[in-house]
Amino acid sequence: MYKKTVIIIALLALVAIPVFAKRGNKVTIAGSTTVLPIAQSCAEEFMNCHPDVNISVRGGGSSVGIASIIAGTVDIGDASRHIKDKELVQAREMGINPVENVVANDGIVVIVNPANSIKALSLDQVKDIYTGKFLNWKEIGGPNMPIVVISRDVSSGTFEVFKEKVMQGTAGIDGALMLASNNAVVSTVASTPGAIGYAGLGYVTSSIKVLSIEGVMPSKKTIQSGEYPISRTLHMYTNGKAKGNVKLFLDFVLSPAGQKIVEAQGFVRAN
Amino acid sequence: MKRAFFVIFLIMMVTSWLAAETKFKMELWNRWTYARADGETIQNEMALKRGYFRLEPKFGQNISGRFNLDFFSDDGPDDGAGIKLKYAYLDFVNLIPIRGSKLTAGLMKTYFGTIYDWDYTTIDKDPSDKYKFVSSTDYGVGIFGYVPNGLGSYAVNLYNGEGYKKTGSDINKDMNINANLRLTPIPGVTVGGSYMMQTKNDDEIDGEKNPDRQENTLIAGMSKLAYGHASLLTQYLMKTVSLPNVDDAEDVTTSVISLMPAYKLNNIFDVVARYDIYDPDTDTDDDGESTFIGGVNYHIMRDAKNAPKLLVQANYQITSYEDAKDDESELMVQLRWIFSETFK
Repeated sequence: MYKKTVIIIALLALVAIPVFAKRGNKVTIAGSTTVLPIAQSCAEEFMNCHPDVNISVRGGGSSVGIASIIAGTVDIGDASRHIKDKELVQAREMGINPVENVVANDGIVVIVNPANSIKALSLDQVKDIYTGKFLNWKEIGGPNMPIVVISRDVSSGTFEVFKEKVMQGTAGIDGALMLASNNAVVSTVASTPGAIGYAGLGYVTSSIKVLSIEGVMPSKKTIQSGEYPISRTLHMYTNGKAKGNVKLFLDFVLSPAGQKIVEAQGFVRAN
Repeated sequence: MKRAFFVIFLIMMVTSWLAAETKFKMELWNRWTYARADGETIQNEMALKRGYFRLEPKFGQNISGRFNLDFFSDDGPDDGAGIKLKYAYLDFVNLIPIRGSKLTAGLMKTYFGTIYDWDYTTIDKDPSDKYKFVSSTDYGVGIFGYVPNGLGSYAVNLYNGEGYKKTGSDINKDMNINANLRLTPIPGVTVGGSYMMQTKNDDEIDGEKNPDRQENTLIAGMSKLAYGHASLLTQYLMKTVSLPNVDDAEDVTTSVISLMPAYKLNNIFDVVARYDIYDPDTDTDDDGESTFIGGVNYHIMRDAKNAPKLLVQANYQITSYEDAKDDESELMVQLRWIFSETFK
């Protein structure tokens, strides 16, 4: 009995120790590499106006952003996809209430090598290419050239959105080249004549050709209007409604000045 | 042991070749245990209590799997380690038309109480594992899914009933039926319940009623409260064993109450405690035991998703018995180290 009492008192004493370091004027952000340039540029501009606030930003991917919010290790978790059922249940069980703040719109553009004569595809055609139904461009009115399928890795938010909007739950081609970043997809398509890939609108360069999907070319106008079929929202997740400096920062991102930064980074305004 | 490594190597090669993406994970638990009872030292040992070797292949977007081998250094006296197959299942998503659900088949998790997501906040096992209510994995098929809006999860399963340790040694012709529901109506408040209908031993042998036939009903209720850095997990387990082929045999009911408060001091230290009350037969006096556990978890390193990578756990445990038996005390210090890599 004596031993138990000693242990209980020791545990209570440990709990009572005021070990919580005050975060003070620090705001921490982590997550999606797609949202990263928005977060970084907005943080720099925000800190110019609020020199007393220190914002640290790092990437890691959408999964890391949401996991960090669930673990309570960051104030803002960036994600280029919506939170998954599994993550939401896990968060709520831990007493976390993830709140989604939409900070920008983005389109996932389907790209090919400029040497390819194809200019437009339907969603079904893209899906059939990624499921391996079409193996040569000539089957869909293109040149006689094998199709080289390039995808993002399965942990990326861009992949998740592509899977939902294009693949509609069907299995992808096993032989697809899975790449870890938007930049890697763009550069691989640029150097591979038969390649097809997809990336965020902000990553489009002159070295690749963007295809119209269902007769709609991806542009800021068609993405914002929802006319372009493979569009998505970009998010900054918080635990509950943002307060204090986190709210100040999110208000800035959604302000005209913040949304100007969003556009300068190649994305589409949220509002 | 050489043969085991060869099998692992072969599985790795075949899986990597078949899968679009494969995650390899290794987790090891090095533990020092010092136990005393009746003023005597009854245990003072260092061992690799558990080692997990895990492969998680993704065969496209809708099919993924888990293959897990468990190693025990104190369970294989002949060649230094014992090996058990712990998981070997496939998950199929979008196969059944229920949003957010998956069909699982193979050697899979047992969705009973909290055994299926027990993360060893204390070194000791989940209560339903520790007090032998259910095996943590079993061969079966089932559906697992999430309730919309993050309100919870559910599972319905059909199991072999032998568990993973006794596979092939028990003759069991009846399946176990299991259902599990867990709800989180508001963040930080979770309640759940599980039911399992379990049978053991054949009903008849050579045309005669088998007196060893058991028909068991298992029920678990749980709640988890989480607020800020504090959490409290509560669990109640009940198992009723019936012997239908024995005249006038009375049912035996076993129960467990378990309370586990935890407090996260910061991202490095957790303080944990646990109190279990175990009654093997609720109709018999003075046969129960209670266990108190107090401990600290020291997270030396975490991964990008904040999951433990290098963790030291120290637990002090006292078990008191209602009969005349002396209390037993146990000090355990465990180093858990985890590493993983994903190959595409």
